Amino acid sequence: MASASASAHTSTRARLPSAAPDIYIPEDEESLVSQLTKHWLNERHAPDILPAQEELLASLLDYIRRQSDAVQLLRGQPSASEEEHIRIMLVQMEVERVKFIVRSYVRTRLYKIEKFARFIMGDATIQTRLTTAERTHAQKHAELTDAHFYNSVLQSLPETQSHLDDTPIFMPPMITKPDESRPVFVHALRDCPPIRFHEDLTLEMKRGHISLMPYSFIEQLLLRGDVELI
Amino acid sequence: MSLPYSLRTSITPPELELIATQQLIEIIPLIAIEKTAFISGAFGPLQPPRKAKIPLWMAINLKLRKKCHIVAPEWLSVEFLQSRLDEEINEPGFSKLPFRYAEISKVLLDVASDDIQNTDKIRSLLKDLREARQAKSREGLDQINRGELSVSNLCSMEINEIRPFFVHAMGILTHLHREASTEDQL
Repeated sequence: MASASASAHTSTRARLPSAAPDIYIPEDEESLVSQLTKHWLNERHAPDILPAQEELLASLLDYIRRQSDAVQLLRGQPSASEEEHIRIMLVQMEVERVKFIVRSYVRTRLYKIEKFARFIMGDATIQTRLTTAERTHAQKHAELTDAHFYNSVLQSLPETQSHLDDTPIFMPPMITKPDESRPVFVHALRDCPPIRFHEDLTLEMKRGHISLMPYSFIEQLLLRGDVELI
Repeated sequence: MSLPYSLRTSITPPELELIATQQLIEIIPLIAIEKTAFISGAFGPLQPPRKAKIPLWMAINLKLRKKCHIVAPEWLSVEFLQSRLDEEINEPGFSKLPFRYAEISKVLLDVASDDIQNTDKIRSLLKDLREARQAKSREGLDQINRGELSVSNLCSMEINEIRPFFVHAMGILTHLHREASTEDQL
């Protein structure tokens, strides 16, 4: 991979990293950006928290850093031609676009983590889908809100009413958890095995099929990457 | 707040546009730029007057600086849209259009209308198409039940438009059914 800073030091006039043949991305393979876009959309539409994409994020952040460094370096060159100027601007613009998606992706997860913080602390399966930083955040958030509720209201209530995890009959439980029955729009990326809704209704989605159905039916397909949410 | 309230239930049209402009489009450059490594891949070199394929957002940017002409995609023509509109009116299902046609046609008509022929006719065809399809998707509300609703060939902008209402309606039906079946067991 032709690193920008290395080539800048060797030539008198710094240039943006030219595409070396070894980093050529074949067309059938998804670029990192389109992978992230897909995960971002899935995360935005899924009621549950999806598995964290740590590696993907790390390599994209790495790319962003490298491209910004290259731009910074070139900015300092006063003699740049108009073509070079436009090139720098395009690279910078792409960096901003990718940054936007990264930010929105992280914020979406953060929103869900804060919303389900108490549930996350009591559920081992959902914890496996979070990064270490996200787990710590969930724990701290749950502890802080608990302490706040206790100090402001709960301590002056009778013992029987001072819990935050009651499951009263005829009432929704106090711990918010993901609503898996919420419908989502799914798009089949390849032919999928049949889904059974109930006794007399099954559906076999062919590639390209778009459908609205409760999240719980397609959860497994989504985790396997057979479908995407749109 | 980590995510503003307006972004929680659905994706927004500007975000859909951001996604749509990642797609590649053909341009005729008016400026020479060497091959450059972007995060999403390597693009270029641009050499006038040789055609090149670059992401739409790049093309829009160059177009606004008058540094390229955009080659309109095949489907953005009077013949294609007219045939789809006829199909839309005569057939019960949705006709097949590019998944992000609404977003792409809008940005192209906004920035590159001088590169497209018959823009007025195209605009009115797009509007007719949109209305015909919208009417159909509203009729589809009848068929919502607690299981599944197939909406193949519906496009991203149209899905986004019906999402809040359809998701809510189906959610309620699912809840009603679940409550009914728990009562049966009692």
